Amino acid sequence: MGLNARVATLPGHEITVEEQQEFRVDDLLPSRVMRPADAQDAARGLRLCDLVPAAVVTWGGGTQMRLGATPRRYEVAFSTERMTRLLEYEPADLTCRVEAGMRLQDLQESLLAQGQRLPLEPPHPERATVGGMLAANANGLGRARYGTVRDWVIGIAVAYPSGKLARAGGKVVKNVAGYDLMKLHIGALGTLGVIAEVNFKVQTRPQVEATLLAHFEMLAPAIDCGIALARQYLAPAAALVLDQGALRDCGLAADWRWTLALKLEGYAREVEAARNKATGIIRDAGGRVEEGDVPSTFWETARDWSAPDDDHVVVRAIVPLTSIHAILNALPPDSRMMALPGAGLVDARVAPGSAASTLQRLRTAGGDQGQVIVAAAPAVVKKGLDVWGPPPPGFPIMRALKQALDPNGILNPGRFVGGI
Amino acid sequence: MDAADREQLLARLRGVVGERYAFADPYEMRLYQYDASPETALPDIVVIPGTAADVARVVKICADAQVPITARSAASSLAGGTVPVEHGVVITFARMDRILEIDPDNQRAVVEPGVVNLALSQALKPLGYYYVPDPSSQGACTIGGNVGTNAGGPHTLLYGVTVNHVTGLELALPSGALVQVGGRKAAAASGYDLTGLFVGSEGTMGIATKIWVKIQPLPPVQKTLMAVYPDVETASNAVSAIVRSGILPAAIEMMDKLSIQAIEAASHAGYPLDAGAVLLLEVDGIPELVDELGERMAKACRESGATEVRVAKDEAERQALWKGRKGAFSAMGRLSPDFYVMDGVVPRTRLPETLAKIDAISARTGFKICNVFHAGDGNLHPLVLFDAFKPGQYEAVLRIGDEILKLCADAGGSVTGEHGIGLEKRENIRYVFSDDDLEVMDRIRRVFDPHGLMNPGKVFPGEVLEGSAPSRAPDHASRRAAAGIGGDDVWV
Repeated sequence: MGLNARVATLPGHEITVEEQQEFRVDDLLPSRVMRPADAQDAARGLRLCDLVPAAVVTWGGGTQMRLGATPRRYEVAFSTERMTRLLEYEPADLTCRVEAGMRLQDLQESLLAQGQRLPLEPPHPERATVGGMLAANANGLGRARYGTVRDWVIGIAVAYPSGKLARAGGKVVKNVAGYDLMKLHIGALGTLGVIAEVNFKVQTRPQVEATLLAHFEMLAPAIDCGIALARQYLAPAAALVLDQGALRDCGLAADWRWTLALKLEGYAREVEAARNKATGIIRDAGGRVEEGDVPSTFWETARDWSAPDDDHVVVRAIVPLTSIHAILNALPPDSRMMALPGAGLVDARVAPGSAASTLQRLRTAGGDQGQVIVAAAPAVVKKGLDVWGPPPPGFPIMRALKQALDPNGILNPGRFVGGI
Repeated sequence: MDAADREQLLARLRGVVGERYAFADPYEMRLYQYDASPETALPDIVVIPGTAADVARVVKICADAQVPITARSAASSLAGGTVPVEHGVVITFARMDRILEIDPDNQRAVVEPGVVNLALSQALKPLGYYYVPDPSSQGACTIGGNVGTNAGGPHTLLYGVTVNHVTGLELALPSGALVQVGGRKAAAASGYDLTGLFVGSEGTMGIATKIWVKIQPLPPVQKTLMAVYPDVETASNAVSAIVRSGILPAAIEMMDKLSIQAIEAASHAGYPLDAGAVLLLEVDGIPELVDELGERMAKACRESGATEVRVAKDEAERQALWKGRKGAFSAMGRLSPDFYVMDGVVPRTRLPETLAKIDAISARTGFKICNVFHAGDGNLHPLVLFDAFKPGQYEAVLRIGDEILKLCADAGGSVTGEHGIGLEKRENIRYVFSDDDLEVMDRIRRVFDPHGLMNPGKVFPGEVLEGSAPSRAPDHASRRAAAGIGGDDVWV
């Protein structure tokens, strides 16, 4: 029996032409879609895929599908769209447990009703799922202050190709029983298992939020300001440096060369103190604080900018803070960029034609302590790019971990670092 | 290990670290047979390497000879994490205690595993920074050990535990490789987060030889409050009420009546002797806000049944309050010749019922149980008081411990919040994980350590591992007496 015939024996259903397009990954189309009803169902379904063996791409909201290399094979779209329940939520414990297919915005709305939130803001929360956020390690603009996905996940249930559904962590905010497999699956892009359920810790919403914009004639002082602010005890919830192009993308047509955008959060007095402190630091650095209104959609557009739905090529550098200037100096003049100086992160939209040379230059500039990846690109551009860069020093262990958990290589084959 | 094998291995290890830093004399090795848990086991050889490269060489030699390896620093583990239960080689880090780099520009420090936790914060203080995780043993425990257990401490309620503050590791693996994972930048940008996976693996994957940690600006002002409650139930209900009120303090600690008595006898912290329970709370913040936060917290305490709320007037009073709390376990020596420390966790809303059940166990069994713990995150530390020289008491206490962990797990919690599974709770781990869960973890362990040589006998239940470790020794009291282990110098 050929592979197609064997895939046809799987549960779920044969895919329609419309659905095929919906589940496209780069230039690959699946022949079948599976929509497990819950975590156990996901484990059973994955086991069947493993028996075929059929290559599986897990789908949440599809907002990070442009991340990673083109898979080597793709037969089954494994969608978590039916796994959307909020399973447990105890506001006084500041914890919750959700199914991986829950949309982030739906979760945030449930938390908001209790005056709480998850301080993670990945792009497109109206579509992005909890499981996808973990798999792609999709973090928002607040990472310098609030940390990343790994700091908020306290438990996980994962379906493996072996058919096992295995948990790690738990429902309490402090827990060191067993291995921390949450860390292993966060950012693994679904190559080690299908994340089925996630337990989070959450926080009380801040009392007050404010935005402060400043503009600079020179880039370096804007970046230094962002770093200096992130080092303050009252670090901004977000400190973002944008060039003129990116600023326009975010709905501000101002004629500013470089903009430092600050989101301040906390108790009213903290926000006031942080604003005064920031104003002082900005003025000392030669920046100018703008008093005008900020478009209401500014932060949302900025949040979504690095995960475009169109064919933009986004290159991302994550480096020690002291290497940021070198990264920015290596960007081509026709690129547009946003930087989170306090998090050591730069996102740049570059022209498809200069993507390869830009990657090369940024990797040199970032040094061996930095990483430069392609965060989004259309299939045709990706083909000519090394999207992950050279595998990190621990790569042999990573490959062995993949072998141990997915011996037949059915999960997102070839999409991750070093061909994993 | 027979004498000839031992001599041969010792000679090879001395070839790496020198004559002085590898030894097998039974008298000299006695120090290395125990940690802060009740169990003991003698190693065959102790090695004190001076560099990461030496650690890697030592690990390789041992792995080639199929000899178990147990990493040990200050040995303040309360769960038997550093007891070499399958003997073999103990590697200790007394010589690898250098702070290699303090890098405020990148908000990082780079340390060797033997650096004492508090020593790092003291070195950072003049620069206006600190290292956040602060186990009560921070004056003795090391960053390497903290990485092993993913250590917590009172101030992790707001700022997170060790794993939230470690961005990179250099690892000596059984293969002989010395590998850097993560590093100076924010954790894992591409590839699996091996740093996060390794932290808390209790020495079963390899040995951390270098650690990159985040450093954080010191809070401008800290305000510490003591709230006095008539009983434990009111105090534990108050914890949820305070958290729900929207303030998440940097720390919320609870001490019950028995603990207060012991602490006051030992350190005169200023806790009222007639209190049924005391909460110690701390907020940090900017000067213009911290008073307001303190007042709001005091109000929440009073509204939740506190009969008295006292705010530390100055740094001396604040330090006294904390000294009492951090010295609580040592103070227990005043009440009992021995005590057994548990480390259960429950969701904080389940604290009242869990504490009531623990109280019922105490009443039923006749063993006094003190409670001193991290109430804010529901991390209980019941201390069962006993006398190891009275026949049958130790065994009875272990049964009590088991029962307490079971009820924590049944309440939706965990069997360890910060001490680790170690040797002690390797069977209790089944209360929170199924065979399938453990099988996946074991598969991952084997990727790092295919022959089960790294800290064998820990974390996993006996049946999960091939060649399981011996069960608890029956002659605990006599071995403990022989080792001269007292009830002091234990922190939590």
